[in-house]
Amino acid sequence: MTETASTTTTAGQGVGESARRPDAVLKVTGEFAYASDLWLDGMVWGVTLRSPHPSAWIRSIDVGPALKIDGVLAVLTHEDVPGVKFFGLDRRDQPVLAIDQVRYQGEPVALVAADHPETARRAAAAIVVDYEVRAAVTDPRQATDVVRHQPVRRGDTFEAEVVVTGEYEVGMQDQAFLGPESGLAVPAEDGGVDLYIATQWLHVDRDQLAPCLGLPHDKVRLTLSGVGGAFGAREDLSMQVHACMLALRLNRPVKIVYGREESFFGHVHRHPALMRYEHGATRDGRLVYVKADILLDGGAYCSSSPAVVGNAASLGVGPYEVPNVRVDATGVYTNNPPCGAMRGFGAVQACYAYESQMDRLAEACGLSPVEIRVRNAVSQGSRLITGQLIDAPAPLAGMLRDLESMPLPEGPPATDLRALPGGVSQTTRGEAVRRGVGYGVGIKNICFSEGFDDYSTARVRAELVGGEPHVTVHTAAAEVGQGLVTLQAQIARTELGIANVTVATADTAVGSAGSSSASRQSYVTGGAVRAACEAVRKRFDGLPAREALERFGPIEETREYRHRPTYPMDPVTGQGDSHTQLALCVHRAVVDVDVELGLVKVVELAAVQDVGRVLNPQALEGQIHGGSAQGLGLALMEEIQVRDGLVLNPSFTDYLIPTILDMPPMQTKILENPDPAAPYGLRGAGEPPTLSSTPAIAAAVRAATGLRLTRVPIRPEDIALFNNGEVSDGKRT
Amino acid sequence: MKPFAYVKPADVAGAVRAVSDEPGAKFLGGGTNLVDLMREGVERPDTVVDVTGLPLDTVDQLPGGGLRIGAMVRNSSLAADERVRARYPMLSQAILAGASAQLRNMATVGGNLLQRTRCPYFYDPAAACNKREPGGGCDALGGFNRSHAVLGVSGSCIAAHPSDMCVALAALDAVIEVESVRGTRRIPMTGFHRLPGDTPEIETELAPDELVTAVELPPAPFAARSRYRKVRDRASYAFALVSVAAALEVRDGAVTAARLALGGLAAKPWRAHEAERILLGGPASEESFARAAEAELAGADVRPGNAFKVHLARATIVATLRELNTGKGTA
Ligand SMILES: Cc1cc2nc3c(=O)[nH]c(=O)nc-3n(C[C@H](O)[C@H](O)[C@H](O)COP(=O)(O)OP(=O)(O)OC[C@H]3O[C@@H](n4cnc5c(N)ncnc54)[C@H](O)[C@@H]3O)c2cc1C
Ligand code: SF4
Repeated sequence: MTETASTTTTAGQGVGESARRPDAVLKVTGEFAYASDLWLDGMVWGVTLRSPHPSAWIRSIDVGPALKIDGVLAVLTHEDVPGVKFFGLDRRDQPVLAIDQVRYQGEPVALVAADHPETARRAAAAIVVDYEVRAAVTDPRQATDVVRHQPVRRGDTFEAEVVVTGEYEVGMQDQAFLGPESGLAVPAEDGGVDLYIATQWLHVDRDQLAPCLGLPHDKVRLTLSGVGGAFGAREDLSMQVHACMLALRLNRPVKIVYGREESFFGHVHRHPALMRYEHGATRDGRLVYVKADILLDGGAYCSSSPAVVGNAASLGVGPYEVPNVRVDATGVYTNNPPCGAMRGFGAVQACYAYESQMDRLAEACGLSPVEIRVRNAVSQGSRLITGQLIDAPAPLAGMLRDLESMPLPEGPPATDLRALPGGVSQTTRGEAVRRGVGYGVGIKNICFSEGFDDYSTARVRAELVGGEPHVTVHTAAAEVGQGLVTLQAQIARTELGIANVTVATADTAVGSAGSSSASRQSYVTGGAVRAACEAVRKRFDGLPAREALERFGPIEETREYRHRPTYPMDPVTGQGDSHTQLALCVHRAVVDVDVELGLVKVVELAAVQDVGRVLNPQALEGQIHGGSAQGLGLALMEEIQVRDGLVLNPSFTDYLIPTILDMPPMQTKILENPDPAAPYGLRGAGEPPTLSSTPAIAAAVRAATGLRLTRVPIRPEDIALFNNGEVSDGKRT
Repeated sequence: MKPFAYVKPADVAGAVRAVSDEPGAKFLGGGTNLVDLMREGVERPDTVVDVTGLPLDTVDQLPGGGLRIGAMVRNSSLAADERVRARYPMLSQAILAGASAQLRNMATVGGNLLQRTRCPYFYDPAAACNKREPGGGCDALGGFNRSHAVLGVSGSCIAAHPSDMCVALAALDAVIEVESVRGTRRIPMTGFHRLPGDTPEIETELAPDELVTAVELPPAPFAARSRYRKVRDRASYAFALVSVAAALEVRDGAVTAARLALGGLAAKPWRAHEAERILLGGPASEESFARAAEAELAGADVRPGNAFKVHLARATIVATLRELNTGKGTA
């Protein structure tokens, strides 16, 4: 068995410091054990046969030819699922293995286990599935099966002096984590199974797994193994049930690891969106009303679409005061790849549209992009369109002013060729380069919303080890690369004043920590660790740690931490206190665009974010840079190309993510206006920068080119065509 | 992946014999393209003949000023060669604009010449593709064809040739030297790749048992002022939407020598003969550059997904020639 993430950190660094990450050196030197490195002597390999069709009946499955291949140990279909045949985060609508039909390309149909992965792959290819292909629903506008429709209604004035309308489109983005899905299932003597897995949420995996395996919860034990990025893509099950089914059938350890291409079919993506907006304002730029129709393509299964729709609706107009609102967010089922959680979660798509609208409104009112936003900005005491009171600091106007006053980079255009559009290949010498500046503002809910019982559990044990005080923190919270292991140790050091802290490997031997998503772990698991530490400290009875532990022996406490409750949105009006915390980030993008060749170089991104309290400056910077890069990807290049339900670019050769050459330097300003309801006053930080960088970059490209650019990602042809003067279809402003 | 035998001969005679003895054999260079295709089940060789051990890994000076590049020279070594950088800068730039440093370290000149299209349907054995399965149809025609060719295409196949290096070689009038059990022959670069016609599965003039042993670059003094420009979706590590290799010699405002080849646009590395004809002897002016580009692209056969390439190509051609004309274009 490879080492998992259990770590001891001895540096005496507490909350607020850039404590050193225990995984940093290992990752940089290539020694970190990811889930794909899991190994157990005697293990065998599982492979998944997937549907080549987006929509088909299955007439029959003949596993005979696969079983004849030497080295093949088992071939399983839906008939072999020991328990419930369906799973799902929100609704159990997704079959473990396709039963009589397939609803998306890549849907798992059968499993093979063999003594070698290549043998297993060949055997999977030998399985004969007789499909009756049927028409696929691939246009969400034609879809009739609605996952959720959430209206938001407020006020009844839908007339104004200035009205701007727009239709916007966001392509399907992938989380593109680097460590593909992987897990190792080991059958246990008690008839249960131990699963070592890269996931975001151990307990919800278990809650779905156990019924499918027909086992009680306590016989299904999960341990987190090295996670190579997540961004939402590991919130749904991938091969968890499959690996356990094979392991239980064979009574042998079974490993499944996806390749890069399979990974694109093995997880959900960001919902593509079609959006229509109408903004009405007074002549001096104060919003009177917003109407919005947001259509999200959920693909073949539910996943977390309902919550994505909820976010798109409740945050659908952005952090602006709007007295009259008619927002309709709808998620539909199609035969496209299933979509679910991805960093920003429903708020990203709406943000691109409402920010594009704010720029149009600025132009129509003769105001600057910053001024229009300042005039409508929310602040503490404002209400969201759901009627919810913003009861914590929300200094948006000030953040925008701060952003505006940051120095602009030199130019245009840059003299260093590497800095020009096209980069090192020197595509441009700067002759047709225009500079543009754009702004973007985003608001994201932190933690789970709409009445979800959102909590985390921490077990903290203090004892003397070799005569020295030592703390062990044990939670089920998934370290997905964000630095949570480091943070848990920082909190323990600060709360207990003990330098030696071990953060135990996350597993289901302790209570649920909830998901590493919704920017929530610092808040919720941080809160649980702090509460457990406080309980331990109380038992020190006022004595210094060493003395207390000498006198009382080891002390262990377990605590659950919950944030303030949230409530469902009214199904008709959308009203309700659906969120527990809100976070703001604002971006300014400076771009150089070669208008002849359509190439964009983002010269600089500047961001201002209010995080309430900085817990680890270096990790925080990492989140802001990383989130901004992911937003840049959506603005300029990242898109899963789906045609008639088929994914055409399932590889990193063809699905482009920004490289170091595409990502510019960043200026950041971090504000600390504490949220009194949150532990340490912190505000979740991972998602907000992903929202605002996309519209800021799109706005900057519009400023440079004068084009309307209503779809992201923006591609070279979207710019070059129009500037060649060849095409004029009214898309020019 | 289908099981296969692996051999690594030490000399050229052994390599060509190994392939002629075994109809299902393929040469293996750096493997950066062949191995991917084998994984997808697109290429299914019975035997893989690794040619990276052959003594064909040097760049040698030819009498008269040309260069002879061994077929096993790695892409990164060729791009870094001082003589190439000084005399044929467009070639060095083209190679460096392709793939990533790691891939260029592995990829060989021979493998780059024979790399296959990036058409997504070609890579997907579940799709219809005449190149993969002759007669099966072409899903790209009515499907996703943003990356596809607009020049030299046929009703059977509209795949684009993906190489950057080959575009420069086409502009430079390179000659490919090949060897088989039947002996040695020389094929001009511009005739090396074939247009798809009704047989898109046949991509070059090379017989299946012929080994590329070298590429010869004739002397080309005007090429010292040459440029390779590549337009793509991100700053590095992406295939060309459009690329241009160009060299221009101007005396007293008139063009005295011109070379132009296009990438990303055509079924093969596209030598722009028509544009060169118009440029030669004419004024070195924006209008003349635009006219040459227009003429070359007049025959473009576009689909909705790739119509933009014509405009992008014209802009790129004009921008590249303009840059060479104003004298800022030497590497
Ligand atoms: C992610 C990625 C990005 C890329 N981006 C680019 C890009 O931007 N621009 C670009 O131009 N290319 C790009 N490439 C393609 C790359 O340049 C080619 O894969 C490479 O040049 C092939 O060389 P190789 O030696 O690895 O060939 P191999 O994969 O070994 O072989 C390729 C073919 O050539 C044949 N072959 C090899 N050597 C000989 C020989 N001496 N004689 C006869 N036949 C031979 C093989 O049988 C095979 O059919 C990219 C590739 C990848 C994987
Ligand atoms: S364009 Fe050519 S390679 Fe692509 S699917 Fe058609 S025939 Fe195949």
